[in-house]
Amino acid sequence: MSLLPLAFSAPLALIGLALLPVIYYLLRITPPRPRQIPFPPLKLILDIEPKDETPARTPWWLLALRLLIAGLVVLAMAGPIWNPQHGAASGQEPLLVLVDDGWPAAPTWEQRLKVALAQVDDAARQGAPTAVLAASEGARDPVLSDGSHTAQRLRALKPVPYTPDRMGLIAPLEHFFAEHPRGHVAWIADGLALGQTRPFAEKLAEVAKNGQVEIISGERSPVALAGAANEASVLNVNVLRATKDGPLQGRVRALDLKGVPIGDAAFDFAGATETQARFDLPIELRNDIARLEIASEHSAGAVTLLDERWKRRRVGVVSGASTDVAQPLLAPSYYLQRALQPFADVREARAGVADPIDALLDDNINVMLLADVGVVAGLAHDRLESFVEDGGVLVRFAGTRLAGSSDDLVPVALRRGGRTLGGSLSWETPKKLAPFDRASPFFGLSVPEEVTVTRQVLAEPEAGLPARTWAALADGTPLVTAEHRGKGMIVLFHVTADTTWSNLPLSGLFVDMLRKILAVSADTSKGGEDASFAAKQQAATLAPLSTLDGFGALGPPPSTAKSIPANFADVAGAEHPPGFYGPPDALVAVNPLAPDAKLEPADFSGLNFRREPLNAGEPIDLRPWLIAGVIAFLIADALASLWLSGGVPLRRRRAVVAAFVALFTLGATAASFIAPVRAEEPAQQISPRDLESVLTTRLAYVVTGDAQADEASRAGLASLTRALAARTSLTPGEPVGVDPARDELVFYPMIYWPIVAGKPLPPQNAINKIATFMKQGGTIVFDTRDALASRPGGPLTPEARWLRDLLAGVDVPELEPVPQDHVITKTFYLLDGFIGRTTIGQTWVEALPPEPTDGTRRPARAGDSVSPIVITSNDLAAAWAADRNGEPLYPLVPGGVRQRELALRGGINLVMYTLTGNYKSDQVHVRDLLDRLGH
Amino acid sequence: MVSARLLTRSEAAAAPRHQEGALDLARRLPSLVASAKELAASVMHGVHGRRRAGTGENFWQFRPFTFGEAAQRIDWRRSARDDRLYVREREWEAAHTIFLWMDLSPSMAFMSSLARQSKADRALVLGLATADLLVRGGERVGLLGMTRAIAARNIVERLAEALAIADRQMRGAGHPDFPSDEPLPQRTQVILLSDFLVAPDELARRLKRIASNGARGHLVMIADPVEETFPFEGHTEFLDVDSGALFRAGRAEAYRADYVARLAQHRERVREAAREGGFSFALHRSDAPPATALLALRGRLEANVDIGAVA
Repeated sequence: MSLLPLAFSAPLALIGLALLPVIYYLLRITPPRPRQIPFPPLKLILDIEPKDETPARTPWWLLALRLLIAGLVVLAMAGPIWNPQHGAASGQEPLLVLVDDGWPAAPTWEQRLKVALAQVDDAARQGAPTAVLAASEGARDPVLSDGSHTAQRLRALKPVPYTPDRMGLIAPLEHFFAEHPRGHVAWIADGLALGQTRPFAEKLAEVAKNGQVEIISGERSPVALAGAANEASVLNVNVLRATKDGPLQGRVRALDLKGVPIGDAAFDFAGATETQARFDLPIELRNDIARLEIASEHSAGAVTLLDERWKRRRVGVVSGASTDVAQPLLAPSYYLQRALQPFADVREARAGVADPIDALLDDNINVMLLADVGVVAGLAHDRLESFVEDGGVLVRFAGTRLAGSSDDLVPVALRRGGRTLGGSLSWETPKKLAPFDRASPFFGLSVPEEVTVTRQVLAEPEAGLPARTWAALADGTPLVTAEHRGKGMIVLFHVTADTTWSNLPLSGLFVDMLRKILAVSADTSKGGEDASFAAKQQAATLAPLSTLDGFGALGPPPSTAKSIPANFADVAGAEHPPGFYGPPDALVAVNPLAPDAKLEPADFSGLNFRREPLNAGEPIDLRPWLIAGVIAFLIADALASLWLSGGVPLRRRRAVVAAFVALFTLGATAASFIAPVRAEEPAQQISPRDLESVLTTRLAYVVTGDAQADEASRAGLASLTRALAARTSLTPGEPVGVDPARDELVFYPMIYWPIVAGKPLPPQNAINKIATFMKQGGTIVFDTRDALASRPGGPLTPEARWLRDLLAGVDVPELEPVPQDHVITKTFYLLDGFIGRTTIGQTWVEALPPEPTDGTRRPARAGDSVSPIVITSNDLAAAWAADRNGEPLYPLVPGGVRQRELALRGGINLVMYTLTGNYKSDQVHVRDLLDRLGH
Repeated sequence: MVSARLLTRSEAAAAPRHQEGALDLARRLPSLVASAKELAASVMHGVHGRRRAGTGENFWQFRPFTFGEAAQRIDWRRSARDDRLYVREREWEAAHTIFLWMDLSPSMAFMSSLARQSKADRALVLGLATADLLVRGGERVGLLGMTRAIAARNIVERLAEALAIADRQMRGAGHPDFPSDEPLPQRTQVILLSDFLVAPDELARRLKRIASNGARGHLVMIADPVEETFPFEGHTEFLDVDSGALFRAGRAEAYRADYVARLAQHRERVREAAREGGFSFALHRSDAPPATALLALRGRLEANVDIGAVA
């Protein structure tokens, strides 16, 4: 109707715009108030004749501003509405809303629904009955009802994942127009030619002779994916659209069967209607791709499903050599297996199968490799022949058997018989390969110098031999020949697949050549393979497993979905929605678009239809915006007038501008500051003790609540700290008492925990913290201090029980008494055990991995990490404890200076062990390493 | 764009800031006039010996007592030396009297954005500074028609006080455009500081009358730079300060040439009036520093003293 989606609710008010010239004239002759200046010597000129009294003109920009204000006021009075909705209905004639609900409608479904609802609303306001007909509903007659019912039906519609055939709608439309010859049809079309749009439109025009048809279609074409192809090194997929809407970029995402993203590929239409997205991924990843989708497009058409057909080739290997070859390196199949394994599914017939070729053909292989098989006869020959005819690739390798006699499944006639000894030629000097011809599929592969051929079968020189030659020796003798037969082809390597005739199977070139052949086989067997597949499973049907909905999401199949025949090669339709069919391990993908599909815009030319754009934007009343603009301009005008008449002094003017700028800046910065300020609020307080513990290594003990035990721990660790500072390079800080429930433990390498049985167990969160501490590499030394009370095999002491309860919720590793060769006994001093106030208690640490059985005796062993737990019962701290003068605080059992010294040495070893780990156990190798370096 | 405004009454009134400004200016002046030392040195300020006997402090001569004179005039110490009687005569000494008049009429309260001070401010500062300078030189200074001539050290405060009182008394009536035209005695000098935006004929009549007894004087015409250049443009409405008359100029720049011609003519007539009355005339623009005007004024005052001394 108009160029802009703009309408006026009171268009008569626009006449007011005619007043603008008058306003212009009036504004011109009433200039702004002049500046008033007191001027003492005015008397001197008071009597001068007035001259040039033309008042100064109103500045043009002020004039424009005021005219703009006047214009905006008039426009606002006219009630402008952006995006007005025009209903197709007028009067009482019924309205039929025809909704295209194929996948092309899915990306803009919300919009379409809005437009449809607006149409229905509009008709309902005018009292017209309405009905809805979706394109996928086919031959159902529309039921006219009131607006709310129709709206309900509309809301219940969902896009379908295929493009429904609209010709089915003709019958209900005929009925509709038969009943209401002057009825209206609003066709919310998807704008694509898919689904017989043009024939349908022509038919519709014919049916609706007296009625009125309005086509509402969007300008933006949907984007679709079709024809994914897993090629030699990339996976390509065509990205389609219907109209050349200028450049459009996007990304195609590849997902595996579980929906995990595998990769992304960009596409760029750059003005064309078709482009490609390339996934340059390793073949293993590409084989996992089960679904390609356009990232920003939510429709079934933007999804392509990949099944086995897009995956790596299945290769069957049959060797003519005897199967009981004990040495694998002598079997040709070994080289083929090794060469093909990374990128193809290599299958061999099970041992003991009567006819291996037949068995492999049953396995639906794509490529058949025959290594030194002379003659294939009987049923296997026929099947092999039809396999090749249907697109299979047969690759044969020469050998003594083939040289002796061959069947007709070879690309070239071979020389044999009594003329040449053994059918092969013995070279005096091994021959090298010639570079590959441009026509050869091997072209581009580099020929390594070291590949030599000592024997080969010879082809009969005949017409067309060079064309069939893929690789040749340096003197031109064909080495690899190939021939297309039917849809497939036969390739012959004139050497063996093992190393008896040449060292080609040992080279990387061999792998590359086989890979190229597989790529060629993927090209040849697109359609034919399905056919062969179908031949075997003619009767079988595949039930839908999961199907796409209109928006391109996989889900359980709808009840209307039917099984597909095994040879289904069509695109998806109403009965067979796109999705995966068949058993989960052999899925068949059905796609909404054919591989070679093109999208074309619908052609409505020459038809007498009203066209409306699909603009589902909400109608926006522009009045408030205009009035706000008027007010803003009025303020600007007032300021300008003030300025012109000198109301704002020069100096203050700058201040005013500065104030405005400052205000805006303040506002902006205030807004940006609010969030960070909030974020910073809950900054954690770090206690000074923690801070100090971070900066200096210090020993820690658990405060048990028992004053005597805590004092013993403190004094013991203090004296151990002094000993460490005096004897080692470690100078720890003052020892500190910690409460596992409250304090952060992560700063302390070793925590000494004397067990006091009477105390309650620490709360669960403390136990969790202990477990975390141990997991993070900390060591806790539990000291039950009950060596005198416990008896081996006797009842548990209360301390032991307490410790057992404590550790019940902790993941404690397997423990063992400290073995003699444990590194903990060698970290600083060479010790036999850890003694404290008592000497008879056992000390337990994490069990080491079993000793290596290779017989070499090592002086020290260590695990990969520090034992998180050390349990002793010797009351270590009491033995360490001494006052400032070094006088011991507690009596020892049995006692003596030596025991005290050994206890201190044990403590030093413990600390060193927690700090250095298995360093000392590696240290024992130093002499060997130096020896080796020296010689 | 040039802007201009009138000071309010309270702004225009003599205030302590004028005293300070004047004192400051007068105090600074000696340093400013270092180059004009000769001029200052050539003129003895203050009490001038008249080289004849009369009332004064300094000894002039002894003369023989003539019979009939008052006996107390005999200088007995001298007469005791011989047998004749002597009378000690002193040299006749007289101080100059200088009267100031500073125009404080509404037109003086004008100040443009180009000027440093309003014209009234400038007149007050100049006048009070002159007074201070003169009193320090020993002259007596008074306000014309307001105070008698005094030679107090705090002359600036005294005069400012008198001005403030007069201002308060005159509230509502407005200051007159002209000084009182009482004839001043001979050898009295008068300094008139004003913009002289008055009818030149009336001014000439009054000056003649003031000088009718032999007084001399100096006119210092204070002008705002805007009044000199008329830098207005565009649609402007001019307001006459004294009469309140409005003058609307469609394009103010069209009047510039006429205004400048008229102003020159007016100046010439004022100068003529001054010359007829035996007054000197000087122009001072309020965008120039006041010290230059003060220096010039002092020079002219001293020139007159010289003339007076010769006469």
